[in-house]
Amino acid sequence: MTTSIADELYSEILEQSNGEMNSKSTSLANHFNSSDSHEDELWNEDGLSWNGSNNDSEKESDLDREWQRRRDQFHTIGYRDGLIAGKEASAQKGFNTGFSESVFVGYKWGLVRGVGSALACLPVAVSKRLVESEEKRNKYLHLHESVNGLSTSDALKLFHDDISKSVEKQNDQPMPTSDKEEEHTPGSSDTLLVTYYKDMQALILESPALEVDFEIPK
Amino acid sequence: MASQSQDESTSIQDIFDAALNLEDTHYKSGYDEGFSDGLLTGKDEARYVGLKSGFETGEELGFYRGCIDVWNSAIKIDPLCFSTRVQKSIKQMDELVSKYPFNDPENELATDVVEGLRLKFKAVCATLNVKLEYDGYPKSSDVGF
Repeated sequence: MTTSIADELYSEILEQSNGEMNSKSTSLANHFNSSDSHEDELWNEDGLSWNGSNNDSEKESDLDREWQRRRDQFHTIGYRDGLIAGKEASAQKGFNTGFSESVFVGYKWGLVRGVGSALACLPVAVSKRLVESEEKRNKYLHLHESVNGLSTSDALKLFHDDISKSVEKQNDQPMPTSDKEEEHTPGSSDTLLVTYYKDMQALILESPALEVDFEIPK
Repeated sequence: MASQSQDESTSIQDIFDAALNLEDTHYKSGYDEGFSDGLLTGKDEARYVGLKSGFETGEELGFYRGCIDVWNSAIKIDPLCFSTRVQKSIKQMDELVSKYPFNDPENELATDVVEGLRLKFKAVCATLNVKLEYDGYPKSSDVGF
């Protein structure tokens, strides 16, 4: 027989019992050996019960709940950390996307404002030479007044509406109705910002002395 | 016998390792899910900030371009309508607007250009004795990056 923990642990007791009960020493040693193996079985049984083989279903669902709770807890913490990291990772790219979408729309709008404002502030003698016809000068003035009625936040709101509309249009594209609408009302897609820009552009083209660069900057 | 007790202790270690690893795994799977959601929402949120900032910046620069072009047209017709000092400022503004990195909002030059334009513009308006401002004119704090 190979030496076991039991032999070593219980050797003292065995010796004592040997002294007390010599006749039963062998059976006692056997008993300890068997009890050792019995303990192993118990340990295994205990281990199995953690895997859910326990018949006590109430205890099992408690464990399941605890398990689920811990899973959710760590999943949530991870999700929150990941969300922040993901947002940070894409923020600059998103900003750049938005910026490049709007900067030239804003630029055109600003150009309309700038031309109108600067013209209105020029000495009359100079503006008379730049735009000779009085009728046209009044048109500029009128346009300038309408444009000046809109603040940047108003313009921004109009621009935002334009974007929302164009997104809707993109979503509606497979629908035949939107195509028909566009056919029936050409030019209706022009929003206030675009209309003012086109009006200004048309006026400037009729005023050769006024050289305004409509090129979108690079 | 020594090896047996060691086996026992490592198996216990394994149980805790497994539990810790599971927590790691749950954290990681949550993190990955959150990260990909964050990429999308972050990009969307930042896009709206960019849309606003881009529009305001573009408007301000377009405004200056419009003014500069009108002033330059006036100078062409009547070279004496503005003082040489004002004409110099207008020329500098012209160069600044041309320098603006429209396609690269991350460029540090952007802030310098806008700051320079604002100063020159104020100076020109002061010497021309005109008031060229409108409601909602972008404040310096609005156009920060």
